[in-house]
Amino acid sequence: MKKLIALLLAATMVFSMAACSSGETAKDDTQDTSNTGDTTGTGETTGGEDWEIVVVPKDSSNPWFVRMNVGVEEYAEETGVNCYQKGTDQIDATLQAQLVQDLIAQDVDAICVVPVDIQSLDPILKEARDAGIVVITHEGADLQNVDYDIEAFSNAGYGQFIMDNLAAAMGEEGVYTTMVASLTNGSHNEWADAAVEYQKTAYPNMTLLEAQPRVESNDNGDTAYNVAKELFKTYPDLKGIMGTSSFDAPGVARAIQELGLRDKAFTTGTGMPADNAALLKDGIIKSLTLWDPAEAGKAMVSLALKVLNGEEVAAPLDLGIEGYDAMTFREGSTTVLEGQGWITIDAENVDSFGF
Amino acid sequence: MAQALLKATDIQKSFAGVQALKNVSLEIMPGEIHCLAGENGCGKSTLIKIISGVYQRDGGTLEFDGKTMDKFTPIDAITNGIQVIYQDFSVFPNLTVMENLAFNTELAAKRRIVSKKRMRQIAEEAVAKINFQVDLDALVGTLSVAEKQMVAISRALMFNAKLIIMDEPTTALTKKEVQALFDIILKLKEQGIAILFVSHKLDEVFEISERFTIFRSGELVVTGSTKDLDDKKFTFYMTGREFNDKTFVAENLTEQPILETRNLTLDGHFQDISLKLYGGEILGITGLLDSGRTELALSLFGIRPANGGTILRNGQEVSIKTPQDAMKQKIGLVPEDRLSEGLFLPQSIADNIIIAEIEQLKTPMGIFDRKKRQEEVDHWVKEMALATPDANNASSTLSGGNQQRIVLAKWLACHPEVLILSGPTVGVDIGSKHDIHAILQQLARKTGMGIIIISDDLPEVLENCSRVLILKDGRIVHEASTQEIDEKTIVSYMM
Amino acid sequence: MQKSIKKIFGRTEFYVFALLVVLSVLIQFRSGGQFYTANNLVDIASALIVPGIFAVGTFMVIVSGGFDVSFPALASLSVYATTKFMLNIEYSGGILLPLLMVMAIGALLGAFNGFFVGYLNLNAMIVTLGASSVFKGIMQGALNSKQLAVIPEGMRSFGTSALFTATNSQSGLTSRMPMAFLVFVAVVILAWFLLNRTYFGRGIYALGGNPASAKAAGFNVKRTKFIMFILVGMISAVAGFIRVCMMQQCHPTNMLGMEMNIIAGVVLGGAAITGGAGTLLGCILGTLLIVMVENSMILLGVPTTWKSVFVGALIIIGTGVSAMQVLRANRSTSRARTMTKEGAK
Repeated sequence: MKKLIALLLAATMVFSMAACSSGETAKDDTQDTSNTGDTTGTGETTGGEDWEIVVVPKDSSNPWFVRMNVGVEEYAEETGVNCYQKGTDQIDATLQAQLVQDLIAQDVDAICVVPVDIQSLDPILKEARDAGIVVITHEGADLQNVDYDIEAFSNAGYGQFIMDNLAAAMGEEGVYTTMVASLTNGSHNEWADAAVEYQKTAYPNMTLLEAQPRVESNDNGDTAYNVAKELFKTYPDLKGIMGTSSFDAPGVARAIQELGLRDKAFTTGTGMPADNAALLKDGIIKSLTLWDPAEAGKAMVSLALKVLNGEEVAAPLDLGIEGYDAMTFREGSTTVLEGQGWITIDAENVDSFGF
Repeated sequence: MAQALLKATDIQKSFAGVQALKNVSLEIMPGEIHCLAGENGCGKSTLIKIISGVYQRDGGTLEFDGKTMDKFTPIDAITNGIQVIYQDFSVFPNLTVMENLAFNTELAAKRRIVSKKRMRQIAEEAVAKINFQVDLDALVGTLSVAEKQMVAISRALMFNAKLIIMDEPTTALTKKEVQALFDIILKLKEQGIAILFVSHKLDEVFEISERFTIFRSGELVVTGSTKDLDDKKFTFYMTGREFNDKTFVAENLTEQPILETRNLTLDGHFQDISLKLYGGEILGITGLLDSGRTELALSLFGIRPANGGTILRNGQEVSIKTPQDAMKQKIGLVPEDRLSEGLFLPQSIADNIIIAEIEQLKTPMGIFDRKKRQEEVDHWVKEMALATPDANNASSTLSGGNQQRIVLAKWLACHPEVLILSGPTVGVDIGSKHDIHAILQQLARKTGMGIIIISDDLPEVLENCSRVLILKDGRIVHEASTQEIDEKTIVSYMM
Repeated sequence: MQKSIKKIFGRTEFYVFALLVVLSVLIQFRSGGQFYTANNLVDIASALIVPGIFAVGTFMVIVSGGFDVSFPALASLSVYATTKFMLNIEYSGGILLPLLMVMAIGALLGAFNGFFVGYLNLNAMIVTLGASSVFKGIMQGALNSKQLAVIPEGMRSFGTSALFTATNSQSGLTSRMPMAFLVFVAVVILAWFLLNRTYFGRGIYALGGNPASAKAAGFNVKRTKFIMFILVGMISAVAGFIRVCMMQQCHPTNMLGMEMNIIAGVVLGGAAITGGAGTLLGCILGTLLIVMVENSMILLGVPTTWKSVFVGALIIIGTGVSAMQVLRANRSTSRARTMTKEGAK
């Protein structure tokens, strides 16, 4: 019996390895053909080189990054550049780090990454750069070991933008707090910081909840829901929660609905149109803010290409993508580039995005 | 002559080409107490498993209660009246006595829904058969070994057992408990139940059984009436070797005691123990299981430091709070449970030998000296006559006796001046037991080492020790020269 | 009488319960009286549903002497496949059909575990670790999982329907007691009956206590394990299903990683990791403690930065208290023995 099992196991392994490798060869083949097609067609963009550019999102099932994948695929189709997205099946800093290490080992030309955890990824990105790989990041302004980091907008600008939305919902007065995916998330915290700073001058009648100025949702709608419920119970004065990750506002909205706080408590934050259409139309959420991840994906690849081709990167930088056509360096930084790619979605326009 | 209850003739069984049983035969009469003896690996267990339907025999015939048994399962064996009580009793420690007793009956009746009332009834009936007083709602795990055994026996009796096979039933029992077990066995005999008693303890064989069968290396050596058996013959049948055991006489005793305790006390275990051990002698310490004898050994070696009194080495007061302290004082301990405490079974024989002296195997630079290690290993493998083709084999490949020798070698490698052995031959087969005794006697005589044997195996104590201390309830109740005392007197002091 | 009091003190459940009481009083005090309010208690009960059902399944496996780390992946896959299928066929009916489907898939995946653990006698921990990967892989590869933002109406209305609504008279906050709580109660009652009143359930205990003896006693060990894993698969799938209904969206991976806290809760409630020992009551109390700790950090006023430290510390203290109690019980019996010995003298 044992022998049979061992045989079965061995057979499965061989089979799965064969399956993997055949899958890869198949992919390589298609890439080869597409590349040969490209060199004639878009020779001037690629400079005759077969660059391999990989986009690594936080995970691959989150609709946000599914949308980013749409942009990356579109870009590959339009320009013929060999770029594709490859993600882990769940949001996990360790898995992401391993994936990046695998890509280094595969010797790709550029890695565009949306980091899960800044501290743990930074040293690995250093390995990538040491190996001569171009590193472009998105939502990772605090990373040290990058060629460039792209932000759809200045974090301060976006934070202020969210605050405007929250203030409008709250009638510019009352107690509020901020929610981020995790306290180690770079951009979320910068948005929240900027929003809080901005509120002090722009909306003097609003106050930050000092006892719990920032809570975590772990990028999980259920956690956002439970945390929001607890917050509203503990602090009866609380009137608004500013969300940052795309899981925050929907989770908080569910809590508001259940606690019977409709029109008494408010939330806003980043969110995908299709996922939130019902909530926006229902009115439990007045508005959400967004940038288009598809465009951000394109911008990363476009910038990576520029670096690989040795083109000069100087402000104002035009990547040829809407919202990323006049990018400027963040103050005091030579790596962080910021655009103006934010948008508001509400009950009126929610159905017009197509994703 | 009445018809035999069990008649096994010319039974053969091999495993992967190795013949475990070579044409052995066994006959048991109704209501007979029959003892099956033999060293480890002699084929006893294989035969039991064939009789109880666990293994299928390769050849020979088996008749039980007048019926020929061919290709039968353990369940068939049980329905025919054959019950085996294994060493672990096959009980569920996490369940109640009631459930342990009732499961078999209920499952045999193919019941699906639990009825506590019915289970209690079954259990009460079962314990009543041997007059066993026990709380049916107690978890079996909280019972003593003897009580667990009673549970197993009660359970076995529920199926109209005609033959009960007990696999080394006395191994973990105290003397009192063994007596209680024997009373029950005699009661069962009165009810016409035959008992096959597997044991390698000589005194038990003599005391309880009417007839005996001895196996060696898968072959039947002898079968006959216990009356015709004596000590010497028994040992010879078991091992195929003759031993000329000499009662130990101490020679060249040191003038001063090399180890002395004064009023040594460990609260709750022993009090006011004052003893003297001279170089070149073997001191026996005996007593019942809960007399504090085990704890005394542990205290002398610093595992459970005493909390009162003093220990002196060569007349100097010393403090022994940890095993390291004891080793520094050149005191060695061979623990009771050779398997769990004494050896790293998956590690090699060689590593087990040198583990205790690993500090001494350093070069001046502090690096492990491989050459010196090999020398030490070779020396001890030879000295201890270890039966192994390669000292780098795992220790678990050795037989019980050889394992015991490694444990000895391990401590001797530290060159102790005082060696304490707690139950040195528990679970060791009879041949190895003699070898170990010979080694110990030689050590005391030739090296002037002082040895303490803590044991309740009285023949062992009387044969190997020059003096004996008897412990009861944590105190020394008697001290005597082994020349002037006999087993009976010792037992009377112990109880 | 004295004996029964001693029995209560000797039980892990008592200590977990005591810990629950102490913690709740602490939260009540720190949150300005917010713990013992109708709506908060309903919130805790509601948060207990999903982990509680998972815990029942996990408890069964632990009692049998095994370990199951695959249940979040199993539940995710079952419920994802069901939801996606129902959306594809534009199902608009009630809850029953999707529930039956999710249980069927759960049973099938459980049978996969059960086959390897039961009939091939492989280590449950290893099998379920592997199964977990396989289930995730199927979700990712074959089903190309993405978050499903909308779930079928029948599931949504089940997830949002309330048994009753508790209102806090002071703050006016309301909380729904989800209908799904009844499912949790039903699962617990059924599991209790199965484990304590049927020979199949006693077989699970027997198996955890001594597998060789279980076989000798006449239990069909292989079949018991196999059926148990099927049941655990069904129970886990139901838990995942309820979670999706209550969240009104189906995310393929956000249940993953729940296994550690669930197992911690079950062990905390007194289930022996070695198998064979533990009660369903303890299992539920332990899980409740974990749920309460996780959902009371803000009420306690613990800053977000320290949340995980606190949750971890409480798990250690919780398991520590029960371990200490076991140690003490052992020591006191050995002392009792010495005492009777001295008394006899």
